[in-house]
Amino acid sequence: MTLARHQKRGLIGAALLSLILIAIGVLAAWFGSRYQLRLVYGAYVNLLVVLGLQVFMGNARVTNLSHSAFMGIGAYAAAICVTPAATKAISLPDAPWGLAAFTLDPLTSAIIAIVITAAIAALVGLFIVRMTAIGATIASLAVLVIIHSIFLFRTDIFKGNQAFFGIPQVFSLTSIVVLSVVVVLIARGFRESHWGIQLRASADDETGAAAMGVNVVRLRLVAWVLSGIILALAGIAYAYYLGTISARPFYFNHVFLTLAMLILGGMRTVTGAVLGTFLISFGLEVVRWLETGPVVAGVDLPEALGLSGVVLGLVIVLTMTLRPQGVMGDREIEDIILRR
Amino acid sequence: MMLELRTLSKCFGGVQAVRDVSFAIEPGEIRGLIGPNGAGKSTLVNLISGLLRPTGGEIVLDGRSMTGLRADQCARNGIARTFQNLRLFSSLTVEQNIDVARQAGHDPALIDAALVEFGLTRHLARPAGALAYGDQRRLEIVRALALAPKLLMLDEPAAGMNEEETAALGQSLEWVRDAADCALLVIDHDLKFIMTLCHRIAVMDMGAVIASGDPAEIARNPEVIRAYLGDAGGDDAPQPTELVH
Repeated sequence: MTLARHQKRGLIGAALLSLILIAIGVLAAWFGSRYQLRLVYGAYVNLLVVLGLQVFMGNARVTNLSHSAFMGIGAYAAAICVTPAATKAISLPDAPWGLAAFTLDPLTSAIIAIVITAAIAALVGLFIVRMTAIGATIASLAVLVIIHSIFLFRTDIFKGNQAFFGIPQVFSLTSIVVLSVVVVLIARGFRESHWGIQLRASADDETGAAAMGVNVVRLRLVAWVLSGIILALAGIAYAYYLGTISARPFYFNHVFLTLAMLILGGMRTVTGAVLGTFLISFGLEVVRWLETGPVVAGVDLPEALGLSGVVLGLVIVLTMTLRPQGVMGDREIEDIILRR
Repeated sequence: MMLELRTLSKCFGGVQAVRDVSFAIEPGEIRGLIGPNGAGKSTLVNLISGLLRPTGGEIVLDGRSMTGLRADQCARNGIARTFQNLRLFSSLTVEQNIDVARQAGHDPALIDAALVEFGLTRHLARPAGALAYGDQRRLEIVRALALAPKLLMLDEPAAGMNEEETAALGQSLEWVRDAADCALLVIDHDLKFIMTLCHRIAVMDMGAVIASGDPAEIARNPEVIRAYLGDAGGDDAPQPTELVH
């Protein structure tokens, strides 16, 4: 197989991003405290979510608001499979269909979680991809609410807002760095593939793409399901590290956070997804510190709870106003370093 | 007989935009389609390319019915087109614009030759949206060739071009017909361009084909003169006969 020019450049770009991701992981492992390691791990989980979001949103240019729910499906499906039956007997005494009666190894659990998430994504996608852009966005919000409601009210399976505990900790910072490198390669590979280019063409001009033989509906579905699979990976990585999950982290606050990351960095590129995730992850830590009302340069700042929400909202408003294509626009990392 | 239209019709609400249009295009033919604004020319192209569904009649390409197929299916079956208002993929490069349309059966050497013919080779890595207007028009034609078309329909390809560019376009289109071995259907308002380029011309008015024939016949047809040049033609208006070479 021969690679086109933009595909070779894409490989260079993906390699550069991988190096950056590995470097951040190594720095964190060397210098970070236990608490900081957890934060960095969380940033990598969010990176997986933002990359999953980019695969659909960035290429089809249709805003999705349901992504955190699909992350939740992956997390819960893996958690239910991998948690020891003895623990589930206590935590899920009323579980139907024998869900509390078995224990699977982490790999099998992850595969099952990916398959379930992909199947649900495909089912939802059949409706979403036929809609107009605005219709699809509103419907995706409805999907978020539906899935969240199921998490909340089927307490016999998901425990709702209570903690689903006892998930074995199988992932480390190393695992998620490796996983994020793999997902960067997948996202970049899709973007530069024939399908990725056809999908981006349809985002530029849907009628023009159809007249050039592009089956827009089918390609959107492919991207939507691939996005769902990456979101499942994020959910699995989340559950396999924290050991405890609940419905709340898979709802609106997380949708908003990850959306802000992608919008700030620039949804059209994988580089934008990576940049936005780390900018906001580190920026928010500063904001959270400011929220506590610290003394800065002799000035005793007041407590400012809720500041992080205000800042995230401002990031979205200001980006959409001043630079709607995000920091990166149409440029990937290699477009900055290499000549066009 | 390659493309055959049989009593093709399209209604929008109560308006009959295309009315019982029947004609055939032979392989390798360059067919002109003229008529006043609102005559139904673009609607006809939209019907043949699958962007609109006909309300009646049939479209047959090489003996296979294309009626009711979606636009992407028509395109993959060899019906290519360009647009009056350009529909390029502006964030993609020139090369990627062409890649989008590439079909399994296309000839890469033909695309390379077409890029040379239309003077686009040096722009390959540029975003299509950054090209000059004339280059964008020419890119639409090269992009359509990547579909390995049997029929290429051009909706006002000379719009916005000066006389010199129009003449060069005409020669390039003859090159396309020979190199890509496809038939062309060309809509344009530039009568001189159409009469020089096309073997046969169909004239549409009020959704129907009112005349059909070679350029000389069309230029003599009194109904064409009335419909095309209108009653306001007066003494100053150019007579079609003056435009035949």
